[in-house]
Amino acid sequence: MKKVLTIVMTVALVLMAVMPVAANGQQDSEKVMGISIDNAFPSRIATVMGIISEAEARGYKVIKYNANGDAQKQNADVENLVNEGVDALLVCAVDMDTIEVALMKAKSAGIPIVSYDRDLPESEAIDCSVGPDSYSDGLYCGEYFAEALKDKGDVTVLELLGALNDQNGIERSRGFNDGLKSASNVKIVQASTGAWQLDIALKSVQDGFQAEPDIAGVFAPACFFVAGIETVLSDLGKLHKVGEEGHVVVAGINGEKGACDSVIAGTCDGVVVMGCHATGVKAAEFADMLVKGESVKRDYYLIAGDFYTTAEEIEKNKENIWGYQKLSLD
Amino acid sequence: MKNKEVSMDRIKEYLSSKLWLSVVIAIIVLCVVFSILSPAFLQWSNFQAVLVQSSITGIMAVGLCFVIMTGGIDISIGAILLLSATVFAYTVNGTESFMLAFLASLSTATLAGVLNGVLVYYFKMAPMITTLATYNIYNGIALHISKTENVPIDRGYTFLGNGRIANIPVPLMILLAITLIGAYLLSHTRFGTFVRAVGDSQVSATESNLPTRRTIVSAYTLAGFTAGLAGVLLISRTAGLQNSLGVGTEFTCIAAVVLGGTALSGGSGSVVGSVFGAVFLILIDNGLNLLQASPFIYDAVRGIVLLAAVSVDRMSTARQAKTLLEQKALRIGSSIIKQVKKTAQA
Repeated sequence: MKKVLTIVMTVALVLMAVMPVAANGQQDSEKVMGISIDNAFPSRIATVMGIISEAEARGYKVIKYNANGDAQKQNADVENLVNEGVDALLVCAVDMDTIEVALMKAKSAGIPIVSYDRDLPESEAIDCSVGPDSYSDGLYCGEYFAEALKDKGDVTVLELLGALNDQNGIERSRGFNDGLKSASNVKIVQASTGAWQLDIALKSVQDGFQAEPDIAGVFAPACFFVAGIETVLSDLGKLHKVGEEGHVVVAGINGEKGACDSVIAGTCDGVVVMGCHATGVKAAEFADMLVKGESVKRDYYLIAGDFYTTAEEIEKNKENIWGYQKLSLD
Repeated sequence: MKNKEVSMDRIKEYLSSKLWLSVVIAIIVLCVVFSILSPAFLQWSNFQAVLVQSSITGIMAVGLCFVIMTGGIDISIGAILLLSATVFAYTVNGTESFMLAFLASLSTATLAGVLNGVLVYYFKMAPMITTLATYNIYNGIALHISKTENVPIDRGYTFLGNGRIANIPVPLMILLAITLIGAYLLSHTRFGTFVRAVGDSQVSATESNLPTRRTIVSAYTLAGFTAGLAGVLLISRTAGLQNSLGVGTEFTCIAAVVLGGTALSGGSGSVVGSVFGAVFLILIDNGLNLLQASPFIYDAVRGIVLLAAVSVDRMSTARQAKTLLEQKALRIGSSIIKQVKKTAQA
């Protein structure tokens, strides 16, 4: 009996905590945008902040759920948003297959759906997608490496990979390799980082230099790897500034503050800063258009990042670089 | 002739008692294979790199080894590592005091370990479920503190992860110290005896008035402490906090401990073996990286090698157990014959 009472009370407490949130979604006739977040990491938060600011500017109330990387939870999150009667749904999927069932329910309820940051090419439910132009971002870096290493003779470049099943990681790699196609003197060696993990990246860079001590450049598909790369270069006595003898070319994609600071310090060659805010704004804009009954062509709308290679460029654009902004989902 | 047999038996018995022998053989085999395939493998600098890379998993495996030997499991050590690294990053950036950050991290991690032990013992909850729950709690606290931000730390505070003393990497020295302390605790203290006794049978240990409660809580506390230390080392190596630090480490550590000869059911195990297990697992990745293997086959190779190593280990353990049983039977048999002879003579 005691156990039953404890369980009932716990459930009641949880429900009481959740109820006000649920009720908020149904208040008045205020339009509501529901956001399902796959996982809250810095660049994603920056994108979601872009969605929220645009949605609020357009008079929407926002409800957001974070799946914390759990595909099953995200399905439940989407169903909850549908039940709460949102007018539009913005989704960044943890898993493009698992999410489809919940998205079809939203579609059946007549809710327009925009996927952000990741395309859902196989989905029959979504209306359109908005995301980073990861291919172009990788291409910028590849072309930079080709140019920086053109007079260095036959050299090897270590390419760190993102999560092997992550669409943005795959596209960044494809762009980087295409950017280096013209450089016949460059041999690319790929190395794993697990699921975008800094500790594994560190090991891979260390082992990479062990296998080929004369590696001339390291490509970081995510900026937070730059710290690990610099640790290894520092260990090996190879952390020289751009332009100095023995400098190892390093460039990354994302726009983290740490990597941008390294560009300012001169130890990192360049950073592609993703247009997170612009992506969020565009996604909210499309959602609003769909709510208003306007047509939006089913497509994956790409937003390319900005490639900064000097301290001056970073300093000048600091207020537009998401890595320097205060990020919060609160 | 008889003396030779006796000494062979003794050697067999000695080797049977060394639970880490299989993993050492597996390491040697792996080293031979990789050194044939990659000229960069057999270099001192590479061995140093492997040992340094093994230090994080190795240190955690030492603590976890005690938990598993009590018949428990601790899934939360990966989250404790992240929590410890998070506390370190924010304290060192906020106070610019390495010592304060170091102590704050270790205290937090140790407290997390104590909480695990208390929950497992007092609430009699299954260790896997309990530590799965605390995994979420510790992970949640870490993410709440960092708001998932990647936080760089000044390179001046990374000596523990990247420094050298007398040209020996500091993480390696810490790993050696922790291994020695762990091995001493297990083999030369009453705590070690209690750990094995509790793992053999908690009921019997309690009925024999052994300090079961203190032993279990201490084992989890040790696991928390080592995970915290690993967290500080890891963030000192990466020079920055990332919210996926330590993801999946708990499973690598469990694999290392089991590979090192510790029984998942508890009661027996080896601290040194657990560290060798960690080295073995890191060696696989190191070899593949040196061979510049396709990153797409890493998981498959890792799985196959692990499966092969565990199978060989299980076969040799079964053979050793059989040999020991046969020897025991022979001894019992001969003493019965002696007894019968004595009775007949009388």
